[in-house]
Amino acid sequence: MKAHEGEVPVNGPATRSEAEENALSRRTFLKVGMGGGLLVAIGSKWMPFSEAMAQVQSEYVLIIDLNKCTGCGACEEACNQRNELPEGKSFIHRLKKGEELEGGCWCLPVQCQHCQDAPCETVCPASATYHHPSGVVLVNEKTCVGCKYCAIACPYEARIYEEESGVVNKCWLCLDLVLGGGRPACVDACIPGARIFGRRDDPEIAELLSSGRAQPLHPEFGTKPGVVYYIFRDKGAQES
Amino acid sequence: MTEHYWGWLVAIYLFMGGMGAGAFIVAAVLELSGERYKHEYCPTTLVGSGVSGLLITIGTVLLIFDLGAGLREPWRIINMFTNWSSVMTWGIWILSFFIPTAFVYGILELMHVYPGILAWVRKWLKFLPETLPYRAFKRVVCSIGILLALGTAVYTGVLLSVVEAVPFWATPLLPALFLVSALSTGMGLSLDLSAALVEPEAAHRFKRLPLIHAALIGLEIILLGLLLYTGYQQGGEAAESVQIILTGAGSVVFWVVVAGLGLAFPLAINVYALIRGSHGYVVGVLAGAAIVLAGLFVRFLVVAAAVPVTV
Repeated sequence: MKAHEGEVPVNGPATRSEAEENALSRRTFLKVGMGGGLLVAIGSKWMPFSEAMAQVQSEYVLIIDLNKCTGCGACEEACNQRNELPEGKSFIHRLKKGEELEGGCWCLPVQCQHCQDAPCETVCPASATYHHPSGVVLVNEKTCVGCKYCAIACPYEARIYEEESGVVNKCWLCLDLVLGGGRPACVDACIPGARIFGRRDDPEIAELLSSGRAQPLHPEFGTKPGVVYYIFRDKGAQES
Repeated sequence: MTEHYWGWLVAIYLFMGGMGAGAFIVAAVLELSGERYKHEYCPTTLVGSGVSGLLITIGTVLLIFDLGAGLREPWRIINMFTNWSSVMTWGIWILSFFIPTAFVYGILELMHVYPGILAWVRKWLKFLPETLPYRAFKRVVCSIGILLALGTAVYTGVLLSVVEAVPFWATPLLPALFLVSALSTGMGLSLDLSAALVEPEAAHRFKRLPLIHAALIGLEIILLGLLLYTGYQQGGEAAESVQIILTGAGSVVFWVVVAGLGLAFPLAINVYALIRGSHGYVVGVLAGAAIVLAGLFVRFLVVAAAVPVTV
């Protein structure tokens, strides 16, 4: 049993009884299932929506709309500036996907997924990786020893080893801005408006989450990420 | 984004930890079974007890050199004892008990073999008795140490096998392989190599040695084969790792150093010794060296062939 489990104020199934959880997933399934219930695959394995969405439990959610993302890299640059990272380094990395497709390739921007069950937190011997009560995963730069075990354990390759400090760092969702009522720098910087950030119980966010088109990455690892991807049905259908 | 975060330093550490633990287990088994006392002088236990603590200490120092902030500010290492859900924390706890235990065993064994040491110490510490109940002391140290040594050998594999993000590692076959390799290299070091160098007849002293050696090497071949086969069957990134080892960048090391020199050669020598009753002195030493070499390169291949899941 992990220490953070009790602390994270979740609005999702974690606080509900098992019966309610089943009912919820059944409702979600019906809603989603009507829309096709299609299994899609972009790069990694994807689950049926109902199953995958039941995993999202963090207080804050970052939705990345892959229909709108142009791969311009403004988020990467904003992250670099905000976190005063060395030239060319960022907590966000853009992956080029679908190069083999006729419709041309598309961009998958990846950063720390702020997993509720974070593999990096489990393996960190120094307890330097921890959950903020909001569910955001943070790194204590004063206790990290730089063993890089977290970087190896993260299925999203979201960890960045900083040569200068000898610490393995990552996206912290600009928590200072968020707690002050603002949004992460990458969200504000996104030119096409592909990044949608908000509280899970925000009606707009809740609607997107239940739309049947939002998916976490690598749900098969059961990490329960707080970052989800709004995916294109066409592209998904092409690849499935 | 396929950076290799862990490399040679970690591989050497995994190897030294395993071999040190194996050498300890061999020595402790000889001690506890009383086999050691059937001979006037037993370099195997001397080597096994004395070297294991040293090997693991060197390995641990290498591991510290692989750290980032922990190397620059060593007091941070104390934090590594704190997360009970991390296999690395388990390992650090096991090591911090095992290293002193191995050194105590080494010192007791030395004092037992060379009574002059105690006499020399008594010049200053006059309250010490003329002799100590070494056997009783060692019985306690070996009993505890054998569990810690097993823990050390197994944890080095579990450290990697809990990483689901590297599909090739994420199998219980890995700790099993590392344990067998630890015992095999431990024997290779303390029985074939060092003992033989200290006292040539020692290699032929234990009649069942070729049988145990051959069995362990056979088991290692089976486990390594299963690891590669299941990885290949699994497909995806695990199969990519297998390809790196079998046909890719690691293929020369795998086929020549590990499969040929490290496994097939000592297996053949020990099977020959089983049939003929004994093998030549030089050949025995070479077989021991080959086993040790294979242990190092098996770990290096496993660490270096890590292919993380595609995001």
